[in-house]
Amino acid sequence: MDKSQFNTLGKVTPRKDGVARVTGQETYTVDTILPRMLHGRTVCSPFAHARIKSIDTRLAEAMGAVVLTFQDIPRRRYNERIITVEWALHKDHYVLADKVRRMGEAVAAVAAETEELAEKAARAVVVEYEPLPVVLDPIEAMQPGAEPLYDTVVYGDQEIQIEKNIACAREVNEGDVDKAFAETDVFVEGTFDVHKIYHAQMEPKSVVCRPEPDGGITVWATTQSIHNTRIVLGQIFDIPLSKVNVKRMSVGGTFGSSIQMNSVVPIGVALALKARRPVKLTLTREEDMHDHGRFGTHAHLKLGAKKDGTLTGIELELVADIGAHILQGYSFLGVSIGWIVSLYRLPNVRYKGTCVYTNKAPGCAMQGFGNPQATFAMESLMDELAEKLGMDPVELRLKNYVRLGMTFWGQGPMVRSLIRSDGVPDLLEKGKELIGWDRRQPPGLKSGRFRRGIGLGRGFHTSSAGAPQPGDVIDYSGALVKINQDGSVDVVSALVDHGGGTLEGMAKLVAETLCVPLDMVSVVPTDTGNALYDVCTHASRGTYAGGGAAVRVAKQVRQEICETAARYLNVQPEAIEMKVDQELGQAVIYVPSIPDKQMTLKQLASRCWSESWKTIASMDSYRPVACPPAYVTVFLEVEVDTWTGAVRTLHAALGADCGTVVNPDGAVGQLEGGLSRGMGMALYEDIDWDERGQLRSKGYLVDAKTPGIMESPHLEGLSIHFADTNEPTGPHGAKGMGEAALNPVPAAYANAIYNAIGIRFYQLPITSEKLLAALVERETMLKERLR
Amino acid sequence: MGEALAQLSEHAPQGNPLAGGTNLVVEMRVGRHQGKSMVDLGRLKELRGIQAQNGHIVIGGGTTVSELLKHPLIADHAVPLCQSAAVFANPLIRNRATVAGNLVDASPAADLAPPLLALGAEVELVSREHTRWVSLDEFMVGVRKTLIQPDELMRSIRWSKPPKRSAGAFYKVGLRKADAISVLSAAVMVACDTSGRCKLARIALGALAPRPLRAYEAEDVLQGQPLQAEGIAEAARLAAEAARPISDIRGTAEYRKRVTEVIVRRLLVQASEALEHP
Ligand SMILES: Cc1cc2nc3c(=O)[nH]c(=O)nc-3n(C[C@H](O)[C@H](O)[C@H](O)COP(=O)(O)OP(=O)(O)OC[C@H]3O[C@@H](n4cnc5c(N)ncnc54)[C@H](O)[C@@H]3O)c2cc1C
Repeated sequence: MDKSQFNTLGKVTPRKDGVARVTGQETYTVDTILPRMLHGRTVCSPFAHARIKSIDTRLAEAMGAVVLTFQDIPRRRYNERIITVEWALHKDHYVLADKVRRMGEAVAAVAAETEELAEKAARAVVVEYEPLPVVLDPIEAMQPGAEPLYDTVVYGDQEIQIEKNIACAREVNEGDVDKAFAETDVFVEGTFDVHKIYHAQMEPKSVVCRPEPDGGITVWATTQSIHNTRIVLGQIFDIPLSKVNVKRMSVGGTFGSSIQMNSVVPIGVALALKARRPVKLTLTREEDMHDHGRFGTHAHLKLGAKKDGTLTGIELELVADIGAHILQGYSFLGVSIGWIVSLYRLPNVRYKGTCVYTNKAPGCAMQGFGNPQATFAMESLMDELAEKLGMDPVELRLKNYVRLGMTFWGQGPMVRSLIRSDGVPDLLEKGKELIGWDRRQPPGLKSGRFRRGIGLGRGFHTSSAGAPQPGDVIDYSGALVKINQDGSVDVVSALVDHGGGTLEGMAKLVAETLCVPLDMVSVVPTDTGNALYDVCTHASRGTYAGGGAAVRVAKQVRQEICETAARYLNVQPEAIEMKVDQELGQAVIYVPSIPDKQMTLKQLASRCWSESWKTIASMDSYRPVACPPAYVTVFLEVEVDTWTGAVRTLHAALGADCGTVVNPDGAVGQLEGGLSRGMGMALYEDIDWDERGQLRSKGYLVDAKTPGIMESPHLEGLSIHFADTNEPTGPHGAKGMGEAALNPVPAAYANAIYNAIGIRFYQLPITSEKLLAALVERETMLKERLR
Repeated sequence: MGEALAQLSEHAPQGNPLAGGTNLVVEMRVGRHQGKSMVDLGRLKELRGIQAQNGHIVIGGGTTVSELLKHPLIADHAVPLCQSAAVFANPLIRNRATVAGNLVDASPAADLAPPLLALGAEVELVSREHTRWVSLDEFMVGVRKTLIQPDELMRSIRWSKPPKRSAGAFYKVGLRKADAISVLSAAVMVACDTSGRCKLARIALGALAPRPLRAYEAEDVLQGQPLQAEGIAEAARLAAEAARPISDIRGTAEYRKRVTEVIVRRLLVQASEALEHP
């Protein structure tokens, strides 16, 4: 593919929604105001684990509020996210809790004329609780005698018992680990802990619901998937999907937090149905922080290698802390091993993963979905192995990484595909050069108060969960593309842009395919009533799969343009070509050998219109048959202050192989953002609960510690490069990017810190305090040995 | 002002002054202060303004943190206060948060207290009946406890202009560099005579005890001595000894104590260097 021929792709262009977003003109769900709209508030549990003995709503109702308790809602258990097939889906959720399983869980809700009255009414609802012992540690949760969160949940269509708080478990065995380990020269192993952390997305989760006279509902909601939200609502409230219309909204960032139908959505809907008036319900920041978080993981890994560095096999035992509800525990267990075997060739695998319920915020996908946790462990062990073998860490990785032509299954055992583009050698080479890898010294040679270290983390994320055959995860998209009378283009897609510029990418891909100036392409507002199914903007699939669908349909439209123009120009359709004329602001349809055989797309479309013929348009679904890895390598140089434990990021060289770079500014933004979020995970963020199951931060962002701009390296210390690859299965050669940008970052920090001070950390975050304590401990040990 | 004081004495002890609300509103949202009457001070001109008066810098209690950052008198005559304001919360909060609100709230981690202690500040408390000046060090009694009475307002805060050949500095250790509550903080002010001997030393610590406090013993070892490495190290050690931190969500007592020594030493070195190269 000759990328220099691109008209739009790879060019820096101002974002279509940019002005609206930065000037406050964009309307998000929370900005939606409807005539006669009421304001909702939830009544939140002050206990993390409790039975509800009684709810007295009389006072609140006397204030004029509509009050909702679980008795008003169909008793149907559901999973907030139906993107896995029935046999992999656990359902444990009711709209309002029957029993409280986390702090702040909604037990009732009110709607009233003003926000103030709603707040007062919510406080006036009297709930009598019977507190139960709080279960916080997933390992303790599995011990005999631990308080059970659930007796049963629904799995498929059956009710199953929950034993020892284990929500689900999964084993994967490949090859023969015992035999491989018997022939192994070197082992490295470790137990890696990554706590739950908070998504800290900018937009608070909100819903507005309007009940319709025909018994249907119209819903404005913060979500990454309008179709998922519609399907789940249809199931809970038993309304035909044709009467459930969910609008696609602008979203103010999610990092995965709205990957499911949000907990406020069905509550808002139930309030509106009861009140028979529109209702808006928005979570406060404190409520939001109790509502979701990354999956916490506790993992033991044992990795073997031959003397020459060839990996022989791995043993992995993983416990995932899923919190109070299950969203996608089964998939999480599948991908957790998938990430590892897709990082490095491991012919022999023994894996056991377990999802455990605790009285904490439910685990929900967060940028990387288990991948940063897995990569942190694997890349730490790869560095340890390199040191043991006396090999250069880059060499060891190059020798073992899963590369061009190999099969991999990042998204779990059922999602296997072949790697057809691979920029890893390039990325490693360039990264080494940019960071000055050759001046890297072992930690033993460093002394003094400030010690510098260079470290590497490499990783990837899949673009979508596509594969040749259907798997346990649904993955396909749809699009409608139509040509307007003036030659401009409307694209209708259910794909959601949660802030990263996904729809900008889609517009660029369509503009490129149809040779239309970018300004003439709009991804128009839509809803579930108008747009074909799209599973979700997740799994770094927006550009690859959602964009892939748009390109497939745009190609069909291009075909129709050629066929239609052929009739007017009186030539064979195959002879027709298209190009963009930026001065005219039009796509031009022409025949290269005959200069007067040409017309603009506007001329074509307006003739089709004025002659009462047709709209040139097409609509189709698209299932990607692969989920190619987008690779990212992160080289960091850090400085550790051995007196205070503070870590400063001096240099970061970030390299990405995302195939064709659709939107350069956006791609750079993803990498910078990935560095920042990864830094937070590595050094700062730690959402901790006290023994009552209350967040120690009490839900205040000021103690949630996501890093800000002041933690970032200075601009001169930041370099970003892209591998020049082309993904044959991707739209115009593109792959995903968003999650890959984060995945290797925590590992790169752990490795750089090790290189600075010679201490390896197996638990994130590596706070200044932990780092200082480790230095002090080492000092004390050394002194004692000297004595 | 008269009306505000009248309201307060009428409703005492159920009246409650409301300034920027960055502490109060957060507390009200979790159900505190129920049944109290809020007296909004937001528009009282008498509480605003930064001036030089008879060798003092005087600021109104309602001065916002943003105003501190912008004012030349603060930059010139209160370096540690200016440095503290620069790392206070975030721009939104700084536009609302007031100096009196910070001091009356009397959190152990109140960031404006250590620099004002280091400057030797006094606070002016007024009621309908009286006006009194109290040194800030006496004013703060314990965790969220001060000498203020329910019918009093903090009208202003003042300190003597630091002498020639003086220097000061502030540093805050947060879990990140902006929008963080202090894990610990420290402020120092030193002044020397012409021979380079220290004639004034104040060291103040934040988030290291139930209330922001002065490390008097550490100050004493510097008095009358040239500011040199040994004395500074000893003062830093004594300052860390004066600290009585607790372990909480932001750090353990042990970590806080250890880092105190590093920070106080760093600040004293900085100040002594500033004296040498003004
Ligand atoms: C996100 C966030 C970040 C923060 N970060 C920091 C930080 O970095 N450092 C820090 O120190 N603090 C921080 N705070 C706390 C708070 O902003 C400060 O303490 C601020 O100075 C309080 O001032 P205020 O005007 O908002 O006080 P208010 O909330 O209005 O009042 C606080 C108390 O002072 C009393 N009061 C106010 N004015 C007077 C007066 N003139 N006379 C008598 N009593 C009075 C009130 O009755 C109340 O008891 C933060 C708060 C938030 C919400």
